Amino acid sequence: MITIVSGLPRSGTSLMMQMLAAGGMRVQADELRPADTHNPRGYYEDRRVKSLDVDNTWVAEADGAALKVVSLLLYELPDDLQYRVLFMRRNLEEVLGSQQKMLATRPEAAPTTDMRLHFERHLERLSDWLPRQKHLEFLEIDYRSVIDDSHAVAVSVASFVEQDLEIDAMASVVDPSLYRQRHG
Amino acid sequence: MFGPKVKLQAGLYDRLKQTAAAAGYSTVDEFIIHVLERAAAETECVESEAEVRKRLQGLGYID
Repeated sequence: MITIVSGLPRSGTSLMMQMLAAGGMRVQADELRPADTHNPRGYYEDRRVKSLDVDNTWVAEADGAALKVVSLLLYELPDDLQYRVLFMRRNLEEVLGSQQKMLATRPEAAPTTDMRLHFERHLERLSDWLPRQKHLEFLEIDYRSVIDDSHAVAVSVASFVEQDLEIDAMASVVDPSLYRQRHG
Repeated sequence: MFGPKVKLQAGLYDRLKQTAAAAGYSTVDEFIIHVLERAAAETECVESEAEVRKRLQGLGYID
């Protein structure tokens, strides 16, 4: 069984990876993307995920571990393995605002328009697709609830992944001061 | 319901009428609207996911 942490970029996926690592779960990640001002505690990514649509033969290596996979690449996970997906949800205005700050530091990025609409459609399609997949179970987690009650979220996550994780350690990594893009 | 109308060849209309009845639709209009809505949504979704891909590449999450 592989635990997948997924969602849109800036929806709290790195935070969830930190929680799992703190709780004692092995995380499948490399150190190739260093921590920066956007993710001061690191990205917890495996570089190979970025080209999952080209090569997904290595994914079985993550058996028993947590692997971060951006939402659009969930379709590319091999369907002969089993997954539990922790899907992070966050207010889209906050996601867009936070992404905009990242893009400002990446001038090479191609401009995109109407992203709110495109993300809404993408999430709608995923919401339709996810429950129909036999190779994965999923649990949606609201980013705000992680900030507001990290302990309760840690309990639900540990129960969902069916692992004896250290709840207090998971909850303790949540730093509300890093919740910088608030909307409403 | 009044609104824009679309012309169909009689043969196609008859075929759709039969298909709609077989699929349990109460009218052929209901069937055609449902099929067109689905087709439009699928096309929009493909376009949107192409834009999402560009955004994720820009952010460094996809090669």
